[in-house]
Amino acid sequence: MKVEDLKAYIESGILELYVLGDVTPAEKLQVEEMASKHPAIKAELDEIERSMELYAEENAIEPSEHLRGRILGSLLTNFGDDNNFPTPTHAEREKVVVMQPDKEKETNFYKYAFAACLALLLASAVALYNLYSRLNDTNTQLSAMQAQNQHFSNTVSAKDNELNLLRDTSYKLIHLRGTAKSPESIMTVAFSPSKQKVVIDMEGLKLPANDKTHQYQLWALVGGKPVDLGVFDATADSSGFKNMKAIASADAFAVTLEPRGGSASPTLSEMVVLGKY
Amino acid sequence: MLSLQHREKIAVEALYDMYSASLFGVISRIINDTAIAEDVLQETFVKIWHSFSSYSSEKGRLFTWMVNIARNLAIDKIRSKDFKNQNKNQEIENNVTFIDEQRNTVYKPELMGIKDLVQTLKPEQKLIIELVYFKGYTHVEAAEELGIPLGTIKTRLRMAILELRKHFN
Repeated sequence: MKVEDLKAYIESGILELYVLGDVTPAEKLQVEEMASKHPAIKAELDEIERSMELYAEENAIEPSEHLRGRILGSLLTNFGDDNNFPTPTHAEREKVVVMQPDKEKETNFYKYAFAACLALLLASAVALYNLYSRLNDTNTQLSAMQAQNQHFSNTVSAKDNELNLLRDTSYKLIHLRGTAKSPESIMTVAFSPSKQKVVIDMEGLKLPANDKTHQYQLWALVGGKPVDLGVFDATADSSGFKNMKAIASADAFAVTLEPRGGSASPTLSEMVVLGKY
Repeated sequence: MLSLQHREKIAVEALYDMYSASLFGVISRIINDTAIAEDVLQETFVKIWHSFSSYSSEKGRLFTWMVNIARNLAIDKIRSKDFKNQNKNQEIENNVTFIDEQRNTVYKPELMGIKDLVQTLKPEQKLIIELVYFKGYTHVEAAEELGIPLGTIKTRLRMAILELRKHFN
């Protein structure tokens, strides 16, 4: 580029506009390229800049004192946000170095504490679940035991009653023997005339099992006349004593097989056992 | 300069103490409201600080770079919607004095020196400096405003700055 061209370029006013920031990006690049190539342009630019700087200095207005603190403060805050806080003094720098591992340790502590809590919670939950299922098992066993216990006490009291009956001297045991119709049959009747009670031993009963339409009926023979004492069923698993209807005296006891519910008078042909008092 | 790039606190203080008055002078010429001008000065320093790595001493003087940031922020501010609305909302009575203030940028007593300096310039040079340097006009806008060709504007601006150079030398 010729000297005249350089002069023309300088005199075009583009350098002033460049310094004032009033150029397009393309013009800006061009000026910078020219300045790097031509020391004369660089020198001219520097002159313009220097004069504008001095001009600004002459124009200077001292901002109020409170603004200094505010602006420096805002810059310091911005450093903090940036994580780029420059540490101006040795002491402060040291502080930062010491603080960081502390903070890390603290964070780690909370991490571990949290993990420990979680583990403890898990263990507790498992233990609680185990305990709960054991409690359930125990409860089941306990209720089974209670049921069994109840059954036993029922049995014992039933046996007690039977024993008391046998001990009671007012009772007399009458063994009813099988008739010709049913020679194998046998049953026992306990009779207390003073208490007017008739009880049959269901456990020792040996009678052919009756069907659903028939029942056995106990009769007392009083002065040659049959008196109804109630009906009963003969099954393989019948147990205990069974109270029959009351009667004050009887000469003999007999059992006949009657239609279910019993009959008003005995069907003599169906008599299975008979015993005298 | 190295310490600046390391963003040392001492450096930012030095930077502020060296340049805040010059920058505030320029900002105050563009924005009359002191509180808003102070806000812009703060924004300017924050921006300078954050973009410091983009400054290269090969491309020019530090102040040139900084004052352009300040001027751009100030101009953005007066052209912003908020600023315009704020001005629109002013009472009519206040508008008379407000407009006067806008026209006479040299009311403040501390600026008397500049008044003298600017008066050493020829009227048309003074006007172009006023518009481009104080009012934030681009040279294209100034040309439109004054009804003068772009080339003339550029020449006048150059002549005005040459006057200033002479004055300072």
